[in-house]
Order: sequence, then C-alpha cells, then structure tokens
Amino acid sequence: MKYAVEVKDLIKDYSKEVRALDGATLKIPEGKVYGLIGPNGSGKTTMIKILAGLLAPTAGEVLVEGLNPQKEKRELHKLIGYMPQETALYNELTVKENLELFGRLYNIPRKELTDRINDLLGFVDLVKRSSTIVANLSGGMKHRASLAAALLPKPKLLILDEPTVGVDPELRATFWARFAEMQADGTTILITTHYMDEASRCEEVALINQGKIISQGAPKEIIQKTKSENLEEAFLKLTRKGGDK
Amino acid sequence: MNIGRTLAIARKQFLSVRHDPRTLALMLLAPVMAMLIFGFVFGTKPEHVPVLVVNGDSGKLAQQFIDNIDHTTLNIQNSTDANDAKNQVTDGKKTAAIIFPSDFSENTQPQILGPGKVLPPKGTKVQIFIDTTDEQLAAAVTQSLAEAGQKLVSKQNASPVTFQTDYAFPKAKDARYLDYFVAGIMVFAITVFTTLLTLLAFVGERSSGTLDRLKSTPVTEAEIVIGYELAFGAIAAIQGILLLAVAYFVYHILVVGSVFLAGLLIILTAIDAQVIGVLISAAAKRESQAVQFLPFIIFPVFLLSGIFVPVQSLPNWLKPFSYILPPTWSIDGIRDVLLRGWSISYVWPHVLILLGFAIVLSVLAVLGLKRKE
Ligand SMILES: Nc1ncnc2c1ncn2[C@@H]1O[C@H](COP(=O)(O)OP(=O)(O)O)[C@@H](O)[C@H]1O
Ligand SMILES: [Mg+2]
Repeated sequence: MKYAVEVKDLIKDYSKEVRALDGATLKIPEGKVYGLIGPNGSGKTTMIKILAGLLAPTAGEVLVEGLNPQKEKRELHKLIGYMPQETALYNELTVKENLELFGRLYNIPRKELTDRINDLLGFVDLVKRSSTIVANLSGGMKHRASLAAALLPKPKLLILDEPTVGVDPELRATFWARFAEMQADGTTILITTHYMDEASRCEEVALINQGKIISQGAPKEIIQKTKSENLEEAFLKLTRKGGDK
Repeated sequence: MNIGRTLAIARKQFLSVRHDPRTLALMLLAPVMAMLIFGFVFGTKPEHVPVLVVNGDSGKLAQQFIDNIDHTTLNIQNSTDANDAKNQVTDGKKTAAIIFPSDFSENTQPQILGPGKVLPPKGTKVQIFIDTTDEQLAAAVTQSLAEAGQKLVSKQNASPVTFQTDYAFPKAKDARYLDYFVAGIMVFAITVFTTLLTLLAFVGERSSGTLDRLKSTPVTEAEIVIGYELAFGAIAAIQGILLLAVAYFVYHILVVGSVFLAGLLIILTAIDAQVIGVLISAAAKRESQAVQFLPFIIFPVFLLSGIFVPVQSLPNWLKPFSYILPPTWSIDGIRDVLLRGWSISYVWPHVLILLGFAIVLSVLAVLGLKRKE
C-alpha cells in the first residue's frame, strides 16, 4: 500500500517545558479520509504544521507524498492544500479576491481559476457573498471561505485543521459529502477535529493525546478492540489505560 | 471610590507588565533614549564645518585673521590653488573656500607714510565662495568669519574687513531653512509610515495565519518580500509625487535638479523602510508589541538622519549611527538633487547605497521568513 503520510517517532519541543509531540508515529494510506482526533492541546495543529513544512520537527522522520517537508517543500507545496485552524484570509479583501490571490499562487490559468472559484463558491454557499469583504462575514462564513481556498488547487493531499468548527450541521453534511467525492477522485484528506462524533465519518482515524498517538485504525475496529459503545468512550478508556502504565 | 478596587486595577496593570518584560524595558528605555539623543543633537551647534583657506596675502595680517577664526566651528585646511578650492566646494566636499587677496595686509591697515601722516586703509575684499544649500553650515561660516574680522579690527587697528561672497550654487543663493528641511521631512514621513504599515501588515500576516497559508502554497519567501516591495515602491512613488507637489506649490521650495531623480530616491527610501518593517515584525507577536518598536524607529530617524541638524555637526561618536540609517542617505541625496541640481552622475553613490541597504535587508527579511520555530 502507498502512503500519503508517514510519520515515525516524531518529537516537537516548542521550549524546554513544552513538548507538543512526544514520539508520535502514524501512517496515512493514500486516498483515504483520515481523521486525527484528540482534545484541545493534544498536538494536532503542531502535527499538521510539520506535515505542511511550516514547523521544523525536533526529532523523528516525516514523509509527505514521499517528500521531506523540510528539504523538498517547493515540490510538496504544489501537491497539498492546507486550511489553517485560524481563518487565515485577508480581512480587507473580498471573498473572491482572496480566492483569486491563492489561486494565482498556484499559477492556475485565469479561465480555469474563474471556473473553479465559481464552483467552490457554490459548494460553500457563498455565491451571494463573493463580493463581501471577509471582515464583514460571520464566523461560519469565514470558515467556509477558508475551506474553499484550501480546495482551490485540487490538491493530491488536503490537510484541514478543524474544518467543521462553527459550521452548522446541514453544511457540515455537505462538507462531508464533498470530501467523499474528492476521495473518489483519488485525493487523500487529513482532517483534525476534537469532535469525537465526527470521527465516524472517517475511514481511518488516529487518536492523539498529549502528543502521542494512542490508537490507529478504522473507528469501528477501535471501538470493538476497546469494547466500547462509541469512540469517545474508547478514547477515555485508552487514555486511562495509558495513565495506568 | 473604593481603594481596594482601585488598587486592584493598578495591580493588574503592573502584573501585565511583569509578564511582558520587554514592554517594561521599552517603557523605561525609549524615553531615556529619546531624551539623550535630543540633547546631543540639539545641544550642539555646527562644528568642524569643512572650509578651505587660500592665503595669497603678501603680508602677515591674513594669517592673523585666520588665527582669529574659531577653529572648533570651522575645520580649516589650507590650499594654494583658488580654483581647486572652489571646485571642492562645488563638488560638495567643503562648505566654503575663503580666498585672501595679495593686498590684504597692505590695504586693510592704515598706511603710515611718516610721522603724523597716516592715510586711511584703502580697503580690500576677502572672497568667500560658499555652498548655501545647508543654511546652518553656511551661517556658521559667515558668522565665524565676521567674528574673526571684528577681532582683527579691535586688535590690529585694522579697517573693517569686507567680504565678497560668491555662491557655489547660485540658484540656491537664497535657500531658506525650509528648502533644506523639506527633503528631511518627506523622507521622515515616508519612512515612518511605510515601516509602520509593513510592520502591522506582517504582524497581521503572522497572527491571522495568512502567512502560514501563503507558506503552504508554492509561493517563495523571496516572492513574498519582493511582492511587498513592489507594492510599497508604487505607493511611495505616489506619496512622493504628492509630497513634492505640496512642497513645490504650497511652500514654493527650491527645485533646481530633476524631480524624477528625487522621486527615485524616495522610492528606494520606501523600499528600505518596508523591509525594515518586515524584519522587525519577526520580533512582535501582536500588534500592540509592534507599536512598541515605533519609538526606536522614529527617534533615531527623526534626530540622526540629518532632518534638522546636519549630520556634519553631530558628535563624532553619533555619526556612525547616522550612516547606518538609510534615510540619512536619501535625505542627503534629495538635497543634492533639489538644491544643488546634481544629476545621477553625482548622486549615484546615494542610489547605490540605498539599493545596497534594500538588497542586504531583503536577504535578511527572506531568511527571517524562512526561519521556523
Ligand atoms: N507556538 C507555540 N509555542 C509554544 N507552545 C505551543 C505553541 N503552539 C502550540 N503550543 C503548545 O503545544 C501543545 C499542542 O498544541 P496544538 O498543536 O495547537 O494542539 P491542538 O491543535 O491539538 O489543540 C499545547 O500544549 C500548546 O500550548
Ligand atoms: Mg489546533
């Protein structure tokens, strides 16, 4: 099997006191919708920034699409779409202007870019707001615009940091449907979330706690293995077990 | 009013400062630095103004005149060639050339023909060839010479010395302080605004996550920095046109040389200021921290780049700080162009230095953007 992401014994220290990743190991098979699930502060964003080449790991091995994110980031950045946890759009620009900017950074031809932007605006339900300044959008709308920007380059690997926070349930369903569609086209999608209930929508998940991956596999498997009702219970059991050791 | 509650508010303020030692340091340091520099800059009057003396006098009186000159105010060097001395003034190397005629002694003192037979001195003129584009330096020269002349009169019973003044830059003969000042204030305004805007923009890029998003795309750090430079260069061009228009139409400032060359220097100034903003932004996590850096840009540029007081008159130990500020070079260059009417064949060193700053600072900015936690 080919892997979109291979991480081995990854350690990230922000300072002497703060170890955000503590020997995390994980493999994401190509073409999956993969969830990185854990509570706030467990190290999800740190992991994702390292994968995107934005942070340097303290120790460990990282391969993304077969590339080293530190040494081969130019090639890597052509292959990934990244949606940061913050909205990360220019507040003073309109939705459309933001999308045009990010599209141009991928050298998408003008005509093609216009088509993609129109398609994505429809998908995130912002057609009527395309000429609104981002600062004047509601929190949920900003989030949707940000997602559209990440989808723009039609990436091989889509990395989404908490894409469903502040998105209402109806739209959330639309999001997941789109992710499934993209996956069918061969895109690998890595999603972080701290909502355990969303995990069931992923084919595979990794549970992360205090910088360590405590379990990996299909959500159902993890639930069965731990003899739990749901993933939340499984998570609690796994962390307690980790604490007992 | 409740003392306990009031103190709680005050305490909170101290606590927030304690958690942010840099703020504390800046709060204490910035005013001290400002006061020190203000004192050193405005406490000095022009000193060591470079002048050349051509003493063609066949007698001894001219030498006595020269000895009477205040040697701290003027830095006097001797020359034997009047034309060469004048050329050095037109080249901007010296502020003035002072030329004593061969009949200076003879015609400044009363002629004693015999007992009781004294003819009043015929009188002669000392020639001053002067650069008036810096009003303060020019004033220092004329004042020192006038004082030396008076001393000569009182000591040697000489007739009042008269001067014949010629101008190295005739069009700037009547240059006012304002004409000199305008270049400084233009550069100051553009530097501070550009640095501030870039600083805030980049702190915003970092804190809002847009910088991370940019860096996850194929765009390179160099493209980001140069993209910003293009934008700020263009904005500076427009600002420069507006400022020059105000200076010309409202203040009627003297414009001898090419406005376009002055404009080029202004654009380079803005680019330098912009990259400095990018560099400083790396040290600030929030907008509020970024603002704390402002005094450290404003005061040095305001005081050391020659806006009010010629760099020439600063204490020697302060001069190096002037020379590492890009605005020092743009202000000097713009004055050369506007007041002296110099063309690119004279101000190319200024252009090159500003360009050099831009390149070196840009490389640093790119490296700064590449740095990861
Ligand atoms: N820039 C930073 N400097 C210092 N510590 C950080 C920084 N970013 C994150 N951390 C710390 O690292 C840990 C993991 O954070 P993060 O990766 O953001 O977790 P998550 O995304 O799962 O909420 C937390 O303890 C957080 O406080
Ligand atoms: Mg996070």
